[in-house]
Amino acid sequence: MRLQVRFVFVILCCAFVHYGAAAQAEAQYLNPKILEKKVTIHSAALLPAKVEITKESAKGSEMMVAESADISSSVMEAVGHTLQQKKINVVANQFEPGSMDDSRKYQLADIQTRYDALLPKLVDKSKDVKKARFTLGDEVMLLNVHKDADVLVFIRGQGRMFTKGKTAFSIINIFDLDFPFATITVGIVDARSGEVLAFTKPMSASKVLKDKKALNKMIEKSLKKLPATAAP
Amino acid sequence: MNPIRYCQIFLLTLCLFLTSLPTSARVPSVATTPKPITFAPVEDEKFAFGKVDLDLLSEIKLLDERFEKEGAVFHETNLDAYLNRVGMAVVADKKVENVEWKFRALRDPVPNAFALPNGSIYINTGLLALLDDENQLAAVIAHEITHVSERHTYLRNRSLRKIMLTMNIINTIGNWNPIGGPAGLAISLIASVSPFMLAISVLGYSKDQEKEADLEGLKAAAAAGFVPDGMPNSFRAMQKDVEGEQLNSFYSDHPKLQERVNYTTSSISADARKLTAEEAKTAKSDYLTVMEIADRHDVELAINEGRFRSAVFVSQKLVSLHPDSSENVFYLAESYRTLGPRNAELTDQQRTSGAKKKAAKTRSKRTLEEQDAELLKTPEGQEAWKLNSEKSETLFLRALELNRFNASAHRGLGMLYERLNRKQDAAGEYAKYLELAPNAIDTERVRRRLAVLRESMN
Repeated sequence: MRLQVRFVFVILCCAFVHYGAAAQAEAQYLNPKILEKKVTIHSAALLPAKVEITKESAKGSEMMVAESADISSSVMEAVGHTLQQKKINVVANQFEPGSMDDSRKYQLADIQTRYDALLPKLVDKSKDVKKARFTLGDEVMLLNVHKDADVLVFIRGQGRMFTKGKTAFSIINIFDLDFPFATITVGIVDARSGEVLAFTKPMSASKVLKDKKALNKMIEKSLKKLPATAAP
Repeated sequence: MNPIRYCQIFLLTLCLFLTSLPTSARVPSVATTPKPITFAPVEDEKFAFGKVDLDLLSEIKLLDERFEKEGAVFHETNLDAYLNRVGMAVVADKKVENVEWKFRALRDPVPNAFALPNGSIYINTGLLALLDDENQLAAVIAHEITHVSERHTYLRNRSLRKIMLTMNIINTIGNWNPIGGPAGLAISLIASVSPFMLAISVLGYSKDQEKEADLEGLKAAAAAGFVPDGMPNSFRAMQKDVEGEQLNSFYSDHPKLQERVNYTTSSISADARKLTAEEAKTAKSDYLTVMEIADRHDVELAINEGRFRSAVFVSQKLVSLHPDSSENVFYLAESYRTLGPRNAELTDQQRTSGAKKKAAKTRSKRTLEEQDAELLKTPEGQEAWKLNSEKSETLFLRALELNRFNASAHRGLGMLYERLNRKQDAAGEYAKYLELAPNAIDTERVRRRLAVLRESMN
């Protein structure tokens, strides 16, 4: 009897995962200004991504600071690549740590903090992007990014890498639904008004973070609805 | 009983036993006897680094570098030197393996301080702004130094790892134990309840460490020549709760502030040095002078993060220090402007636990613009906005009276008038700003605002 219940539960989980994958492709939210073509994105400035990964073992989680930095760069590259495929020009990175003085670092950190404060609301009520509910305010102009940049792109992510021990525990305790995953959010913000123009939150198995091809595919899929820029 | 059940019970007992080990192995208990303080000096007890600790240390070093890279650390020559002087005075000749002492200000308006096990001590600008004198600062630093020298992070990490393993094992036993029989039921119950029980034991253990850090820190600061009262006074300063964020949660990792005031006060001997009223006044003024630039920076951070009451509180301190400083008056004006329809100080009703919880919920659900709009629909909100906008205008004008070239005051006035729908006045102030500060960082922003205003006036 108990085995039967478990079997049904596994089937339900599979259905849930399948439905989740379909829903993921839909998890793209565009501001009406984009949909109605009141705003066209010709050029974008990518802000340094913050993708944090942790190593989960049976004894708990551990930081992976260096790996997080590497993966952040890879995700930034993948987002840049996807935007370029849509004929959106990606302006040169103006935020290399070595090239910034303290005041520039502070401006960047402050805008990143503003976005981080808004992020939980963006994740919880992503659909409200369609109602043009979210803005970072015109403080975004303090960043003084390249004058051609129409939008700022904020990238955040989280990932959990399982050790062999933790994988064993997660398989044994399959009903806890404790799996390695990676979730990335991309927020596209008007570089002048600070309004959130697009938001996407793809989720996948964490192995995607180590596989560039899979990562590119994930990002491409997540920004599928963002219209490509017509040639000027 | 089935031998498998014996095995399960044995495993569970072993796990719980392992969980209790770290506390008893290293940290002396201070929970029951606040006086006399008898912690063993660090030098006498060699901490043996294991692979786990060294791995943690290398990650921490990278994290430390990241704080710098990402602009989280506030640098100002005088402040850096001051923090280093106070910190090194407390450290004295303490030598700790794998520790390089560094004392830095973190750009964060939330009142907090923390220590990384590699010896990096961070004090948030929000806490620096809340403290009143050097003795309080030394007490905070001494508390953090104790966490480092007593290796609390490593011990906590080791303890957590054991507990996590235990929790995973218990969880597994619970998940795969066939239903039925007393052992099965008991294990199932523990599986669901134990994470909570274990969490309590972890958090309780940390409270002991916190108390140890308080009392050891008190001793270290006093030994370095700082007034011991600095420790309880620093807790009193933190009790201000300007933003109404301190909730009496069921369990938190620090003992309650009043409890900390009590036990640190009772551990100070009656003949310990105390500041006279005159000395206290001078100490406060000296401290605020050193902190002036950091405090201004903290006001900017507080406004950026929507901590408007904190911004008012800190800028009031700045104005009380130098009432004729155009810049300080500007910061107060800016704080009142951004405060919008909120009252500058929390009312008694807003300080109740229920009101704080409700406010926290609103903050998590609503954007700042939505909160403002909702408040402005209430008579209290309208009254507060009227009062704050008047104060703000008076202060901006005062800042300009003190220094007519204060461009920021023109920009602030412009933003205030724009919000008050006084478009003509706003445009005039923006134009003056652009004239006085043509190369400022926000020139483009103000130029755009001016253009939008002019367009709407035509």
